[in-house]
Amino acid sequence: MRHRPTVRLSLGFAVSLVLVLPAALARAQGGDVRIDVKSGAIARLPLRSEPLQGPPSGPAPVRPADEVLAADLQNSAVFQVQRMWAPDPVSTEPQFVTSGKWTVTGDKVRLDGELRDFPARRAILVRSYDGTVAEWRRLLHRFSDDIVQQITGERGVADTRIAFVVCGGKDKELWLMDADGHGAKALTADKSIAQSPSWSPEGSLLLFTSWRGGSGPQVWVMSPENRKPFLVSGRAGLNTSAGYSPDGQRVVCTLSQDGNAEIYSLDARGSNPQRLTNHRAIDTSPACSPTGREIAFTSDRSGSPQLYVMDVDGGNVRRLTYDVDYTDSPSWSPKGDRLAFVTRVGGGFDLWTCRADGTGAAPVVTGGNNENPRWSADGRHLVFASNRDGGYGLWVTDLDGALPRKLSTGGRCAVSPAWSPRRASGR
Amino acid sequence: MKRFSRMLLFALAATLALSVASCAKKPAKTTEVPPAPTETAPTPAPTPAPEPPPPAPEPAKPAVSAADLQVVYFGYDSFSLDDQARAALDGNAKLLRENPSLAVSVDGHCDERGTVEYNQALGQKRAETVQQYLVDLGLGADRFRIISYGKERPAAEGHDEAAWARNRRVEFTPR
Repeated sequence: MRHRPTVRLSLGFAVSLVLVLPAALARAQGGDVRIDVKSGAIARLPLRSEPLQGPPSGPAPVRPADEVLAADLQNSAVFQVQRMWAPDPVSTEPQFVTSGKWTVTGDKVRLDGELRDFPARRAILVRSYDGTVAEWRRLLHRFSDDIVQQITGERGVADTRIAFVVCGGKDKELWLMDADGHGAKALTADKSIAQSPSWSPEGSLLLFTSWRGGSGPQVWVMSPENRKPFLVSGRAGLNTSAGYSPDGQRVVCTLSQDGNAEIYSLDARGSNPQRLTNHRAIDTSPACSPTGREIAFTSDRSGSPQLYVMDVDGGNVRRLTYDVDYTDSPSWSPKGDRLAFVTRVGGGFDLWTCRADGTGAAPVVTGGNNENPRWSADGRHLVFASNRDGGYGLWVTDLDGALPRKLSTGGRCAVSPAWSPRRASGR
Repeated sequence: MKRFSRMLLFALAATLALSVASCAKKPAKTTEVPPAPTETAPTPAPTPAPEPPPPAPEPAKPAVSAADLQVVYFGYDSFSLDDQARAALDGNAKLLRENPSLAVSVDGHCDERGTVEYNQALGQKRAETVQQYLVDLGLGADRFRIISYGKERPAAEGHDEAAWARNRRVEFTPR
């Protein structure tokens, strides 16, 4: 049995918990410490972030670096961060304290990071991170992910990336950025339409739909590193909505080569199509479960688009959603216990989650059009596209109920995000 | 004045020849398209316009292009043809019959509501329905190529019913 962090409560803290408890089902205001209703555990442990020591000037700017680490820890949805350099640091006694020191040698930089248990006055994580000066942000992301792992037993997702689609006039191009919205760069410059990026299980490849071939939507694949697209499926009609099986050996996608939108399983190169659905209705948006045994998809066979699950061979089809008149975009949580999806409510689209068997369906994000939910590798967050503040942009919601936060995409219109898996070694 | 209209005619013939030539490059599948007559594939824009050659030997085709074919509109989340849509397609079928060499891309589009993937499938259904209607009227299926754009290429940018109604459509574009 793993060590479970016990939390000592100051009186003020305990009182605030009692106050928050009745409102636990309501939407959180800001980043308040809240009760995790499901497990009864305390979400958001108070953590004090001390300024990192180091050369005041230099390639790794000290104060921005402090902010990067504090934002990572806050966005982990595990901690409530108190910035020691902020004008009005929260006075709650912290459970944990982070500190660190930069050392720059030529174009190399080292971060010596430390996490202390504040009440016990002892270090519980001491680790050094080495890299080039250019990748100083990644050292902080790795430190943050290690801290999350130390406290929760599962690594954080600060050191991951998000692929997405930038809409500019008629064209849509594929882009990539860090999970905190930094370093956005274009992966395609096709002057065509790119859509629906989806990562390979180990995070080295991106499947996407593109009209770049000139004869309609086709499934392509590229490595974000060399950005050279290869055609996976360019059959007659639709070739869309592609995703890998968890072992990376199959590509599940929507084709209309047989006269109707149906779901197929191809081998990783796009050959040997195996048809999985057979219905006159539209079947699309397939998503392989993390176990590889099931595929969730959307079908309007009941008259309106609804979520279904079938076995990976196409058998045993069962409907998941009933109470809403339009559901789509199913996405499995990394553990396979829940599904996120969109549902139409009034004039807009909300994000909902439900258990893998369809029970427990409940809204997560409401207001405006909220689309294409995709899970982070730790299952604590969803990234999605939304026009909730006007134009379309990318947002993240923490599943503990905090208000969604917008990711900066440099003012660009952005849709269709896909959160990468963790990098192989965490390095 | 007369000279001007002859120039216009020449320019028209030239663009027609050019578009035939560019079409011939693309499909490479069937050899139906006749090779472009070499002497009438001129440089794009002759500025000083020398004495125009004698009127084009074959003014034959009334200049009909895909742009003359009417756009067909649909209801929300629907790919069925209403009376208005059928009337538009009947008109298009007449034009296509009169211009047997005209081959078009049948492009299915949707409004912005709903997901990217579902709308791609819906756009495909709309385009397929339109093509099937034209084929049922006796037109050859090989004259059409279907492309779904889903909700990616709206005709109207607004976010209200008026814009959505204009975006739920099938357009015909040259191929």
